Amino acid sequence: MTAAAPASRRPAKPRRSPFVSVGLGAFVIITLISLSEEWGIGLDIGSLLEDIGRGLPIIAQLLDPNWDFLPRVIEPLIETFQIAVVAAFIGCAVALPITFFAARTTVPNRATLAISRGILSVVRAIPDFLYALIFVAAVGIGPLPGILALIFFNVGVVAKLLSETVDAIDTGPIEAADAAGSRRTQMVRWAVLPQVLPNYVAFSLYAFELNVRASTVLGFVGAGGIGFLLRTQYQFLQWSNVSVIIICLFVIVFAIELVSIRLRRRLV
Amino acid sequence: MIRFEHASVTYPGGVHALKDLTLEIPDGQMLVTVGLSGAGKSTLIRALNGLVPLTGGDVIVDGISVRQANGKQLRELRSHMGMIFQTFNLVKRTSVLNNVLMGRLHATGSWRSLLGWYRPEDIEIAMQALERVDIVEKAYVRAANLSGGQQQRVGIARALAQEPTILLADEPVASLDPPTSHVVMRDLQRINRELGITTIVNLHFLDLAKIYGERIVGLRAGELVYDGTGAQADEHVFRDIYGRSLTADDLMGEARPTPASISA
Amino acid sequence: MPAQRPQRPSNLKRNLWIASAAALFLWASLTVDVDITDLASLPAGLWAILSEMFPPDPAYLANAVPQMIQSIQMAWLGTIIGAALSLPLGFLGAKNVSSGLVSSILRQFLNAIRAFPELILAIAIFIPIAGLGPVAGTLAIGVHSAGTLGKLTAEAIEGIDPGPVEAARAVGGRGLQVQRWGVLPQVLPELIGFWLYRFEINIRAGAVLGVVGAGGIGFLLDQTIKFGRWPQAGTTILVVIVATIVVDTISGAVRRRIIEGADVKIMPEAEVLVDPALAAR
Repeated sequence: MTAAAPASRRPAKPRRSPFVSVGLGAFVIITLISLSEEWGIGLDIGSLLEDIGRGLPIIAQLLDPNWDFLPRVIEPLIETFQIAVVAAFIGCAVALPITFFAARTTVPNRATLAISRGILSVVRAIPDFLYALIFVAAVGIGPLPGILALIFFNVGVVAKLLSETVDAIDTGPIEAADAAGSRRTQMVRWAVLPQVLPNYVAFSLYAFELNVRASTVLGFVGAGGIGFLLRTQYQFLQWSNVSVIIICLFVIVFAIELVSIRLRRRLV
Repeated sequence: MIRFEHASVTYPGGVHALKDLTLEIPDGQMLVTVGLSGAGKSTLIRALNGLVPLTGGDVIVDGISVRQANGKQLRELRSHMGMIFQTFNLVKRTSVLNNVLMGRLHATGSWRSLLGWYRPEDIEIAMQALERVDIVEKAYVRAANLSGGQQQRVGIARALAQEPTILLADEPVASLDPPTSHVVMRDLQRINRELGITTIVNLHFLDLAKIYGERIVGLRAGELVYDGTGAQADEHVFRDIYGRSLTADDLMGEARPTPASISA
Repeated sequence: MPAQRPQRPSNLKRNLWIASAAALFLWASLTVDVDITDLASLPAGLWAILSEMFPPDPAYLANAVPQMIQSIQMAWLGTIIGAALSLPLGFLGAKNVSSGLVSSILRQFLNAIRAFPELILAIAIFIPIAGLGPVAGTLAIGVHSAGTLGKLTAEAIEGIDPGPVEAARAVGGRGLQVQRWGVLPQVLPELIGFWLYRFEINIRAGAVLGVVGAGGIGFLLDQTIKFGRWPQAGTTILVVIVATIVVDTISGAVRRRIIEGADVKIMPEAEVLVDPALAAR
């Protein structure tokens, strides 16, 4: 009886899957191309560090806010908030029925599912800014295009998130509702909605947060809110005023985020 | 009256869940189906209310063909059949009453049901259903806060709220402990006798089947292999149905509890 | 004795919330400076634009596609920068890894970065430094992503199972080793999920930053729409949509593969976004 364990019992080291190797290789190549001057963005760390000097006087001004400018900021900020609120309510309301067409567990047939998800993909693929650009061209400048843009944006975000939640629910109550002879809308209202309602409210709050952030910059293209003021000050190189705007933005976004997180914790 | 006429169900994977089943169930009967898992008990019950579509033959319920029923007719048919599930299938996040009211949805218009404005008559029916299973004091309690046995009773109340002529119970006590199982089975038996509702129950435990089954139907591999009374069903019969010797898992084992020992 | 039917419980709290929400919405919609009659012109205005966008100008693809590629590159590099920065930031911001004081300060720092949309970071900081062009946009995306990813990373780390970390210490590992072998393996699948999701979001940012001159296809979007060159705008918009959907699909597929391969239970991104602490349960 020998004491050594037979070496042939040791398993061979598993070879790294080719999928991973190819993936890593592609990753490196794409990154290098993107960095290059010729085909990419031309990131040159050296000249970047040199150029920091160029930005310093501006940054110095940014660090010295001009508080006399504050009164001019208040009204546009309120408008930013209004846009966010209106768009959030309308967008989340619209998103709810759309969700049930885009979720596997509640949809009447596969064709509807495919079409709904397709439309939702396109809606989500358009950045909020692009919506703003289009709506400004369609209805003129002011808060209205901003509201419309954010409604579409909200629908995309909330419908996607909520439909994923609906796909993951307990289907038992759905079976029970079907067995009791209820119609589809009744089934959705009583077997599905109660299960996802807290999530829906949480996602709506999240969408509202996103709206506040977005509406700060949509004004850049004329869609209302503080973005327009930001743009004018920026174009006139009034950095100290820009600084005031940015600080106010930060305070608002931060405050709303705090409230939103508190509320969301209580729900889920 | 329920009539299975050469009913067959073959699932897409090729599994023959029901093979040429012919069976007649008179009104008001309490029927228990037994058989191994996969023998077709669940399929039989779900073929009755169309949750599982037939691939051959037909099921006639009170003169109406289930296989040929369109969406609206099927809903109408289902409204007369209350179903009770092994996993209760309650909406956990909402109240007991809201769960039971789901049994009244078939009689409630779309807008009313959307807003939750049930008619007072419907709420009364729901409350009476809860009283019949002796759990009305929990009407506004969240379903998730109830024990298994209580949840199943709410499930029974939901089925009763439909004012059904047929009650379908798919392994209603499989998730419950023995004393609670007896309570639920006794409730079903009482409902069957007092209200004259045709009751079809799938059971896993053979001793329970013997006690509560006025008529026992045995399924094996999708085929009907036994049809007789509970008294006639002895060990030999069950071994036939199972196709093997009985094990301890096939019997619940505990005697019927006295009223004092029940806490469900 | 038949049981008493219980009283219907009061819905006061819930109704108060609903009432306040309704009041908020009413205030906002009534006081915002929108003329309802403007809404009436919406369908006509929209139709006018959309009908001129179709058919889109295929020749313009030569302009649009390279710019979209640049936007994708900006998002790619920006996400990498953000992810790379978020690792140390995340570890430092996690209460269970670094000290309580350091992690608190760092979390506030991350909140500060996160609060600024990429656009503002671009115009306020990176264009002044790097000048106009995609470098500024990339850095803006990178820094903003670092903020968001840093926060998510810290929360993921705070949610881990302390067992493997203890084991790593018990075998005598030093600080960085404990992080590398005790903490990182647990959170890595989750983190990769965050990075991929962030990439999807950054594509949109990359598409838009060009409006302020920070690189990418946004410049073309702004120009074609502002000057009413609708067939060209149509081409550009289509390029953006197609590219975004392609990236979303690939990224989503990779994320699903990683989630399937992970031992750690990962909730759908939905739950994570709502409450990242949930992801650890």
